[in-house]
Parts: sequence; C-alpha cells; structure tokens
Amino acid sequence: MIVYAALAVLAGLLVGLSRQINGRLALSTSALESSFWNHLIGLVFITCIALTIGGLFAGTPGDAPWWAYLGGPIGVVFIAAGSWLIPRIGAAHTAMLIIAGQMISGVLLDIFFKAPGSTSARVIGVLCILGGVWVARGPTKRDKKG
Amino acid sequence: MTDLVRGTQSFHFAAAFGAGGLLTLMVLCNGTLAAHGSLFFASWVPHLTGSIVALSFLVVLRPKRAAPVRPPLWGYLGGISGGVTVMLTSATMNTALALSGTIALGLAGQVVFSLFADVRGLFGLPKRRPTSRDYISMTFILAGSLILIFLGGGA
Repeated sequence: MIVYAALAVLAGLLVGLSRQINGRLALSTSALESSFWNHLIGLVFITCIALTIGGLFAGTPGDAPWWAYLGGPIGVVFIAAGSWLIPRIGAAHTAMLIIAGQMISGVLLDIFFKAPGSTSARVIGVLCILGGVWVARGPTKRDKKG
Repeated sequence: MTDLVRGTQSFHFAAAFGAGGLLTLMVLCNGTLAAHGSLFFASWVPHLTGSIVALSFLVVLRPKRAAPVRPPLWGYLGGISGGVTVMLTSATMNTALALSGTIALGLAGQVVFSLFADVRGLFGLPKRRPTSRDYISMTFILAGSLILIFLGGGA
C-alpha cells in the first residue's frame, strides 16, 4: 500500500517535472513548439512501451463517442499554456491555479452530469479554493531574473 | 505594485485557472476513451492527435523562436515524464488508493515539486521564494481540493 501511495506521489512529482522541462524548452523556442515536442516525444515513448507490452487496441475503442477524441487538441492548448505561464508566474502559482481551475470545473461538470455528491461539501470546497486564489493575488518576490 | 503589473498578473492567473478547466475536459475525454479501449489507447490517441494538431498550428502560425541559441537536448524530454505519469496513475487507480487517493497524493507531489522547483530555479527557470501569502493561499486551495475529493463525491 505504501508503495502505491509513493507511486501516486511520484506521479504528481513527474507532472511538475514535465511542466518545468517544457517551460524551459518554451523559453528557448515557443510555448506551441514546446507543446508539440511534448506530444511527439510522449507519442514515441508510449508507442514503444505499448508495442513491448501489447494490447494497445484491446477492448472496443471504436465504440467511444466522437468527442472523446478531442482530448489531444485540448491537451495541446493545455501544455502550451503551462509552458507559457511557468516562467512568468512560477511553478507553484502555475500548479496551484491549475489545480484550483481543475477542481472547480470538475464540480461544475459533476453538477452538469447530475453526479451524486454532497452539496454542502461542494460549496465549502469551492469557497475554500476561491479564497485561496483570492489570497494568492498580490506582489511576489523574484530572486533574480532568469 | 503598479496597476499594469497587477493587471498582467490577473491575466496570467486567469489563464492558469482556465487551463485547469481545460484539464478537466481533457481528463473527461481521455477517461471516456479508456472506458472503451485500453489505458494505452487512451494515452496514445491524444498524443497522436495532439502531435498532428500542434504541428499544424506550428506550420500555420510559425511562432518565432524566443532565443537564437539551441535549447538543451534534455529540454525535449518533458513528454517522457508525462508518459510515465499516465502509467503510474493507471496503476495506482486500481489499488485501494482508488481515483480519489491517486488524485490527492498527486496534488501533494505536484505542490512539493513546484515549491522546490521555484526555490532552486530548477532547469534554468527563474528562482522565486514563496511568500507567507503563497503558503496561506496554497493551504486554502489544497484544503478545498481535499474536501471536494473525499467529501464532494467524485473528483
């Protein structure tokens, strides 16, 4: 169990690592180019792993609705946005605000799909997050120009 | 802080917040693919279509390179880290941690890494020292997230 918990934390660390590296690439190139390389290198990597392990086309992927295939284009904008923001507002602000946006939009989506859940917990959670975003606005210290 | 700086910061914050919304839509799309096909398929397809769409954008928009010097080779490896993430989360989601535990621990990992990355200026990005205001904000956002993950029913 501890091993799986460690792996879940590691996954989070890798999200940050990936954003940091993509942000560095965007500093030399552009946010869009950084997003392109992120997707292409990721594609090559996943293809290699999938060919080794097998089962890439298992199940009935043809049955998925058409809109499920829009994750890629959305991801292009998402990765480009992260790469663009991280040198400008820092890794911590980028991570916290993305988390805030993800959580609140997740609640909206749950309400839209009428997913079961506690309304009071949702209200308190969303208010907490909005409060945190409100506190974050203000002067930041930057040690030196990069 | 001048109004201009504050306005720019608000724009950046709004963009990051909006990116979080895009992430929700992306997870919905990729999760729906995973419900019909394999987990590999659900990661492979968005990387394939994403590469094609990003390349098309590059060809049409031709964004200027920010610096004439070539970026370091490791700068191109961010995608591998992302690929490993997909595999790790797919593995832990099916244990006792479930989706909620995987997301909560993932948030912890992201926050720890981002603070460390800012303090050290990891990988050549600007160094930043988090203020007490940042820690307070972070506590609120994380507390709200944990409430939503564990008590809000669905994440």
